[in-house]
Amino acid sequence: MMAQLMLTALLSVILLYAWLEYRRSPFVASISVLASLVGLYFVWFPNHATRIAEAVGIGRGVDLVLYTWVGITFIVLLNLHLKVRSQMELITGLARELTIMRAGTGELPRGQTPQRADAAH
Amino acid sequence: MSAPAGTPEAVWVVVTAFNEASVIADVITGLRAAGYQAVVVDDASTDATAQIAEAAGAHVLCHPINLGQGAALQTGITFALRQGAEFVVTFDGDGQHRPQDIPALIEALITRQADFALGSRFLGNALNLPSSRRWLLRAATWFTRLTTGLRLTDVHNGLRAMTRHGASVIQLRQNRMAHASEILAQIARSGLRYVEVPVTIVYTDYSLQKGQRMSNSVSILVDLLAQRLHR
Repeated sequence: MMAQLMLTALLSVILLYAWLEYRRSPFVASISVLASLVGLYFVWFPNHATRIAEAVGIGRGVDLVLYTWVGITFIVLLNLHLKVRSQMELITGLARELTIMRAGTGELPRGQTPQRADAAH
Repeated sequence: MSAPAGTPEAVWVVVTAFNEASVIADVITGLRAAGYQAVVVDDASTDATAQIAEAAGAHVLCHPINLGQGAALQTGITFALRQGAEFVVTFDGDGQHRPQDIPALIEALITRQADFALGSRFLGNALNLPSSRRWLLRAATWFTRLTTGLRLTDVHNGLRAMTRHGASVIQLRQNRMAHASEILAQIARSGLRYVEVPVTIVYTDYSLQKGQRMSNSVSILVDLLAQRLHR
């Protein structure tokens, strides 16, 4: 019972996270909600998980829950990646305005970042 | 005050550059000799690209950090528009494009009433193009046809021209190499008229060394997919 409550709390946090992320990434949020609801269902109806697991050839219900958890983790990682991209867009916009503001001031700074392998133009 | 439309002074050529100190002077000299306004966006080079470009007569913009070619292009386009450019041309800084192809691009915009003139090396010439690169570009062409519906012969050619209206529609969010596909997707979405114009691309050992690698195509696909997943 204790484990069920803990897992319910964790999955509820993910549901809340998905709801908060919906405006920025509807696709990722929808998948997160779906995976979390499936996870909650399996937590409270483990026998159903076992039956479904047997039906799809996984074997044990606990393995199905584990796979669901791995899926949720992957989705959260994907969302973090998208969030990093959003941050990069903000940094790019800021750097662009700074660059244009400095144009014509006679200031030609050298680059301060090391050469990147993927920076070829 | 902007120059009369159609004159070289009304054409702003955006050149992106990252560590191009050995070739940038020739590129800018060629553009300035033809009368074009040249904007070099130095993407945080660690060599003297910016200083050399300025000495050759270019307007030089320096990114404070390395952002990528797509980001540099958007910076140059934004700057050119704010300077009153009537036409914006994008041009590679590694010397593989020729200034003498620009008049045909501008003429196509004017006479065919298009907003985008896209250079095509497969309608023109691609000198010293390796066969592996040719096949990669063919694959990219088919991918673009499937994803945008645009029937083009060359989709990753950095030599292109656009009207002021066309340039203002372009808002690049792909900082790195996926910007070439992003531009085409935005052209397709905008519904604006585009034409293809034959151009000549001259591959040198230097440009081949600095240009796209096969592995970049995977990065481009990942970037395009990631962009579709978030707003």
